[in-house]
Amino acid sequence: MKKTTQQDEELSLEQAFEQIEEVISHLESEEITLEQSFQEYNKGMQLLKRCNETIDKVEKKVLFINENGGLNEF
Amino acid sequence: MRNVYTVAQVNAYIKNMFTQDYMLQSVMVRGEVSNCKYHSSGHIYFTLKDAKGTIACVMFASNRKGLGFQLAEGQQVVVDGSIDVYERDGKYQLYAREITRDGAGALYERYERLKRELEERGMFAPEYKRPIPKYSKTLGVVTAATGAAVRDIINIARRRNPYVQIILYPAIVQGEAAAPSIVNGIRAMERIGVDVLIVGRGGGSIEDLWAFNEEIVAQAVFDCPIPVISAVGHETDFTITDFVADLRAPTPSAAAELAVCDWKQLQEKMAGYASDLQGLCLHRIERQRGRAEQLATRLRYLSPVNVIRTKKTQALLLEEHLQNAMEKCLDTSRHRLALYVEKLKGLSPLDKLNQGYAYAADSTGATLTSVDQVSVGDSFSVCLRDGRISGKVTGREHQNR
Repeated sequence: MKKTTQQDEELSLEQAFEQIEEVISHLESEEITLEQSFQEYNKGMQLLKRCNETIDKVEKKVLFINENGGLNEF
Repeated sequence: MRNVYTVAQVNAYIKNMFTQDYMLQSVMVRGEVSNCKYHSSGHIYFTLKDAKGTIACVMFASNRKGLGFQLAEGQQVVVDGSIDVYERDGKYQLYAREITRDGAGALYERYERLKRELEERGMFAPEYKRPIPKYSKTLGVVTAATGAAVRDIINIARRRNPYVQIILYPAIVQGEAAAPSIVNGIRAMERIGVDVLIVGRGGGSIEDLWAFNEEIVAQAVFDCPIPVISAVGHETDFTITDFVADLRAPTPSAAAELAVCDWKQLQEKMAGYASDLQGLCLHRIERQRGRAEQLATRLRYLSPVNVIRTKKTQALLLEEHLQNAMEKCLDTSRHRLALYVEKLKGLSPLDKLNQGYAYAADSTGATLTSVDQVSVGDSFSVCLRDGRISGKVTGREHQNR
């Protein structure tokens, strides 16, 4: 299926959020060193940046499928 | 001479007539249900009526499998059974073996049958349900191009997230052509590859919604690799498509809310993450800084300069103590001295002289304390308060005290 391969290539928002939650729980744990915490912070911010890039911010017109299977503006 | 019969005999006779009538033993009667009572014994008592008359009916508990729905007032039904006499009351009634719904009722039965069949095939099973993606970018909608349903879906989807691409398949949702049209719509969406798909229509009668009870529609929804949210009619309408879909929405509006994430919430969530990350990192740095400061303080405390300073302070303190102690000592002595002075004052011989005492001294000035110290003819002096007088010893005698 086309959808799954697409998801393998790019991290879905849900997956990215899961990873961010993980980073946060690492940062919250007591055992981590300061160096590690910088690494985790960096990782988290990178993930957030990628999320932001993933999110499409172009407003969309509603499309409809015509009889030939093509797309028209609604 | 005419015979006189008992009531029982008459009733028995009539019952016999009914029993022997082949047609009455198996008859189908159409009518509307009224006075329906489910007895605790499991028997159901009701009256079947039409415009011109009524007939009492009973369905015994043993025949209940012949009734596939909840019998209720006003339902149009066809009762299959026999007509017999109830001798105790002298009444005839219809003994129902099977009750089916008439008209819309027939559709309802088709619905029940297909629902059972598909359920047995496992098409409603939760393990086949695909999760609805939380952050879809493209939303497919298979519904009529006009009407409240499509308007509600588009409005709510756009309000929640204007950046979602909505693709509509304008389907026929009512009548003969509806089912194939809906199936085509689902297939078209598969080809385009949307993230999530809403299939549905606004409210209507069971006939209006019928396409969503057709097997081909159910099958297409089941086979669709895209997560499908069904949104057919109102909250109370349940169609076969609802059971097969990955998620059933009570209304088209609700479907749009389930399909499209709220953009504002998403932004808030991401901002929350950013501030969590920053906060936690700052917190950690702050804590490490605190620890460093603590260690620095401890080190400073242990430095030789500090040790010397401490000792110096200690020495100063000791000196002060010593001083104080000395001071106290002197004070005490001084005090004691004053006391002695007072005491001595009381014992002073000069004071005694004041009171009329005197003391005697020999010619050398030594104080005389014994008569043996002088001999007759020795000169001596007597000291008084305001001077002395001189004299000579003219006699002496011992006196024992």
